[in-house]
Amino acid sequence: MINFLREPFGQKRILNKEDIGNKKNKRRANDITGTLKRLWKFMRGEKNVIIFIICIVVITSLLGILGPYLVGQIIDKYFVPGLFEGVGKVLLLLLFIYVLHSLTTLTQSFLMVGASQRTIFNMRYELFNHMQYLPIDFYNRRQHGELMSRMTNDIETLSQTLNSSFIQFTTSIITLIGTISVMLYLSPILTVLTITIIPLLVVGIKFITNRTGPLYKIRQKTTGELNAYIEEVISGQEIVKVFSQEERVIKDFEVKTKNLRDVTFWANLYSGMIPKLMNVLNNLSFTIVAGIGGLLALTMDNVVTVGTIVVFAEYARQFTRPLADLANQFNQVLSAIAGAERVFQIIDTDVEKDHGLIEDTNLKGAIDFKNVTFSYNKDQHEPTIKDISFSIKSGESIALIGATGAGKTTIVQLLNRFYDVDQGVIEIDGIPITEYKRDVLKDNSAFVLQDPFLFKTSIKENIKFGNLDATDEEIIEAAKRANAHSFIMKLSDGYDTIIDEEHTSLSTGQKQLISIARAFVRNPSLLFLDEATSSIDTITEIEIQDALEELMKGRTSIIIAHRLNTVQAVDRLIVLEKGIIKEMGSHEELLSHKGIYYKMVNG
Amino acid sequence: MKTVFRYALKYKWIIIIGLVLMLVELGVELIQPLFIRGVIDEGIQQNSLEKAYLYLFLMLGASAVSFIAGIFNTYFSSYATNAFGNDLRNAIFRRIQGFSLGTLAKFNSSTLITRLTQDVLMSENLVFMGMRILLRAPLMVIGSLIMSFVVNVKLGFYLTMLTPLLFVFLLITARYGTKIFSRIQRRLDGINRFIQENLSAMTLIKVNNRMEYESNRFSKIAGDLRDDMIFGLRLMESILPVLLLIMNGSLLIVLFVARDLLESSSIQVGELVAIINYALRMQGGFSMFSWLIIAATRAKASADRIEEVLQAPITQYEYDEFEKTKTGSSVEFKDVSFKYPNDTLKVLKNISFKIEKNENLVIMGATGSGKSTLVNLIPRMYDATEGQILVDDKDIREWNIAELREKVGYVPQSAILFTGSIYENMLWGDREAHEESIYDSTIKAQIHESILEFDDQYDTQVGQRGVQLSGGQKQRLSIARALVKRPAILILDDSTSALDVSTETSLWDAIKDIEVTRIVISQKISTAQAADRILLLDEGEISAIGTHEKLLRESELYNKIVESQSRGGSFDD
Repeated sequence: MINFLREPFGQKRILNKEDIGNKKNKRRANDITGTLKRLWKFMRGEKNVIIFIICIVVITSLLGILGPYLVGQIIDKYFVPGLFEGVGKVLLLLLFIYVLHSLTTLTQSFLMVGASQRTIFNMRYELFNHMQYLPIDFYNRRQHGELMSRMTNDIETLSQTLNSSFIQFTTSIITLIGTISVMLYLSPILTVLTITIIPLLVVGIKFITNRTGPLYKIRQKTTGELNAYIEEVISGQEIVKVFSQEERVIKDFEVKTKNLRDVTFWANLYSGMIPKLMNVLNNLSFTIVAGIGGLLALTMDNVVTVGTIVVFAEYARQFTRPLADLANQFNQVLSAIAGAERVFQIIDTDVEKDHGLIEDTNLKGAIDFKNVTFSYNKDQHEPTIKDISFSIKSGESIALIGATGAGKTTIVQLLNRFYDVDQGVIEIDGIPITEYKRDVLKDNSAFVLQDPFLFKTSIKENIKFGNLDATDEEIIEAAKRANAHSFIMKLSDGYDTIIDEEHTSLSTGQKQLISIARAFVRNPSLLFLDEATSSIDTITEIEIQDALEELMKGRTSIIIAHRLNTVQAVDRLIVLEKGIIKEMGSHEELLSHKGIYYKMVNG
Repeated sequence: MKTVFRYALKYKWIIIIGLVLMLVELGVELIQPLFIRGVIDEGIQQNSLEKAYLYLFLMLGASAVSFIAGIFNTYFSSYATNAFGNDLRNAIFRRIQGFSLGTLAKFNSSTLITRLTQDVLMSENLVFMGMRILLRAPLMVIGSLIMSFVVNVKLGFYLTMLTPLLFVFLLITARYGTKIFSRIQRRLDGINRFIQENLSAMTLIKVNNRMEYESNRFSKIAGDLRDDMIFGLRLMESILPVLLLIMNGSLLIVLFVARDLLESSSIQVGELVAIINYALRMQGGFSMFSWLIIAATRAKASADRIEEVLQAPITQYEYDEFEKTKTGSSVEFKDVSFKYPNDTLKVLKNISFKIEKNENLVIMGATGSGKSTLVNLIPRMYDATEGQILVDDKDIREWNIAELREKVGYVPQSAILFTGSIYENMLWGDREAHEESIYDSTIKAQIHESILEFDDQYDTQVGQRGVQLSGGQKQRLSIARALVKRPAILILDDSTSALDVSTETSLWDAIKDIEVTRIVISQKISTAQAADRILLLDEGEISAIGTHEKLLRESELYNKIVESQSRGGSFDD
């Protein structure tokens, strides 16, 4: 028997003595009061509703206490002595209380659901909106998975907690105080006896949480390991198949999942004890009230009456329930607060600064870099860009070439204010770019990126993303100029075809043509092609090249490329090496210069 | 639902024992009001201390029994739950291993992870709850109903008069609740997808100045979720007040009629107290319902998602040991066409050609021209939609699939290594491989020297938590792994792209004399020149096939490629 309890069904114990109650590395909020204050700010719009709810909760709790008390009174005053005069009036009062109780309960929950869901919406929206304006650097430093979990899991936990915990918390406290007061008033002795179960509850819960805490931590780690394994095997499924290793990975998986099973067993076992503990304490309090109460009624005069027993039997339940709720919810509330804190951390991250004053201008696109120096990390010993100066005339096309890490992308990022320069000035049309509103820079420029990202919506919407005001005609015109029209028309729904990996297989080249159409419809004066053809093979590149050259006509264009054959049509080339301009000039000039470019071309 | 919970059947005895223990607990709860009646009617009213003591000890005993039953129930339910969850997880994983690549692409890896972990956990929870409270709540209600009749038929009748109303109400809310909460679940999934897309497209959004546009789109879907949530939660929250009203109303009726019954002495006070107590217990049982509806809806959504995986088609086959052939195999495509499942566009159209034993074929073509798809058909990663593929003059569908794959050494575009040591990764090629044959392969793949430079040499850990390898190192390791297999057909899908020219030349030299049929996908004219023949694909069709010289003479497309590569080098290392 003892053996069964220690190692049931052959499940080995996982926790050592020293693990029990180990509270190290608990993921909890650092600043609970601060976070609660911030949370309250989000609820401010609901201030009146909340105050109203609190009033109603007080009434509800009192009515909840009053009901059983009256039932006890009816039994003591009328039924036990056998006096039935006037009981009708009390019953009528009771009816009134019951109806009112249901109404206030309904009102408080309805109001709370509305208030909490509106608050959650505000937070969700605020977080999302804030994230849209965070600098690109923020995203480069964080994993998508982690951000996803901020925006989904943390908000969800908060939503669930906010909905139930607020009312329960308030109700629990009022009910606890209220019932104990009435109990003391009715019978101090029985009250003292009844609340002896509270220490038992505390000891029991502590025993359990000391074990579940560390177990949950182990479980989280094991789950993480399992996830990593699944991810690896699924992404390498081609290899698994071609090497016929299915049985082997299944065996490995079974070993890993067995670990998870073991830890989950113990975690479930201990956490499953909580309701059982509550149950036995309920039964004990019932025994105390009914059994010992009965003895007291018999041995001492007028200390305990039948009515008191009835009231106590109900109250004992009423106060163990909130205690259990509080104990159960305590951890949930804490983790929700920790989640809220993580959400606030993102909201507190600075958005891109925008001190520019110049609005609504059509830029001509003359660019000047004047002694620009920049590093991504301030503790980097060599700057990424070192004292660079050059000018680009309006309508000119420039190619930035150089090895990985030479600073090509950095120049484009600085020009678009993904980052701001450390030293020097960048000017467009003779005015420093910081003096323009960010919108001006963005609205006047278009990008074609290496990875032609398409949204899961229609092709039309995907092109329209470049210019929300574009008419259908303009969209088709843009697609035609991007050489995309003919293949789009071949698709089952033409421009209304939904981009969906499962059903529509567009080649990378075709996707890139759509993204070129997106740039066309924007009709920008500044154009950036960031390795636009590098994930494409040489044959497809030939097709896309035409579309790109058409797109570059009449616009200031900056092209980043590492394959030299794609950039020979530009007006000038800038050869970069380790953040410094090594050579600058037209294709022919650079060839006759016989420097780096010449060497590369004749590879 | 059914497919998923069938896995619990294996543990039916443990579940049954657990349920019996739960019934014991329930029995104790249901008998308690009888004790309180005893204390009042037989003890207090009769002034019998003896009886009062008797009932006190009975109650203590009952509490103890209930507690012990409860603890054991927890043991049994935890065990059954975990065993079930574990079996389910293994079954899902095994199923996934049987998926074709097409099926696998349909579920992407992140949803499969969710299904294997979160969704299994949800299903486990349902079993756990099922053994503990799912049945207990309704049984508590029904038990209390019956017991109230046992205590006093008349009072029992008055108490239960209004409960049919309650059942109807609960049925309606349950039906609407499940509907609305499944919709909420879908909306949550939608929000997650939206955020995922938004994060992936962040640069694009910024450069197009579409931040406000995205926020507005998000505001709409988040608003829809809010509205549904408010409606769904309010529906659930309305259960409790209605329940309270009906149960309290029943209590009032009981108290009202009790007056006359007490007056006529046809009932005793203790009986009344017991009935009131049963009413409270029924209330407790009923109040679990809204929670149960939400939990069940969530579990059902999870179970359905798991079921999708468990019911997706798989290919099954026998694993055996097969004799290694000493020479390369011939491969023939006869009028092969292919389109991906759910797709309308044909990726390959009427492909016919034959590669002789030990021939060296290079396949060229634009992205999307069908090169990778074509080689994928040989080890039956996908099956041709039309036409026939023969290996050693036998239809590949007639080969045992494991034997067929045993013949093929395949190095895909992206080099994938698994968590473990380099040596263990090499053993993927052949589990019984000797050290010499592994070294031989790594030497041929030009990676042996690099491995020896690592601190732990062949014991160096690679994969997710392993050392950072360069793209070229990974490609060479994955080529070595394929060589360890001593394949009859070696397929290299653009798998030397990250190698510098001299390493690549040494690699080709080293494997030149192996007796193996080589199919190499490449973009490089230099590689093509060295091949026996070149196959040029264009939009899924064979544009040209033959030697370098022949293609130079006959193929316009080939000349275009040659020309595009003749000008300019690149800054890649």
